[in-house]
Amino acid sequence: MAKYRVIFIEESMEHLVEMSSAMLELEKGFANAEAIDMIFRMAHSIKGMAASLEYDSIAEVSHRLEDRMQEIRSAGSVADNDELALLFRGLERLETMVAAVRETGESPPPDLELVAVLTPSADESSKKKVLSPTL
Amino acid sequence: MARILVADDASFMRQMIREIVESEGFEVCGEASDGIEAIDEYKRLQPDVVTMDIVMPRKSGIDAVRGIMDIDPTACVVMCSALGQETLVTEALQAGAKDFIVKPFKPDSVIDTLKKVLEKEV
Repeated sequence: MAKYRVIFIEESMEHLVEMSSAMLELEKGFANAEAIDMIFRMAHSIKGMAASLEYDSIAEVSHRLEDRMQEIRSAGSVADNDELALLFRGLERLETMVAAVRETGESPPPDLELVAVLTPSADESSKKKVLSPTL
Repeated sequence: MARILVADDASFMRQMIREIVESEGFEVCGEASDGIEAIDEYKRLQPDVVTMDIVMPRKSGIDAVRGIMDIDPTACVVMCSALGQETLVTEALQAGAKDFIVKPFKPDSVIDTLKKVLEKEV
């Protein structure tokens, strides 16, 4: 498994660089289909590798990011600056998690709060909750 | 010995499949890292089986299945899917794929699936 851990770290770091570049492109235009597709594929790929090595926390964050990107693909555009900020947050968390694997060789702890907010439409339902009258 | 073409954009996954299938005596005759390369390598190598990732750059695995079936309607393609991709797997099977394996790969399951599709081809 050590061999695969090395490949995972190398390949994930490359994917995260690609993801970062694509997110910077999205800053210039929310509907950049190529950038949206790139982030989706990179998240999908990291998810598959992480799941294979039982790095469950990384698999979970990348899975939610992938789902979020699938929703953005369907919509054709990032909704707003808040959603873009959320994507950057997911990217930064993945960078931290992959770095933790490189340093410790272990699966990093889960980030349940991020997983919850990345889950597509979770922010919408939380907005609705805020807007609902509290009697 | 069955000859296998492995198509996946992640070298991690290609190595993992290679290790699994070679441990059972299959030969990996080629690798492809996107859908267009998969079609080109299919034409060149004429493998017995293709393991095909679904999400790939330039041309998706599903479109690559369609491209391969256009060249060779008897082609034997096994999709590599992840949980949550059931709709895409169905689409790939309708396009002509023979079966699918699910990531993360379980070696026994990969080998059983490959043997099953190869037996059907005989």
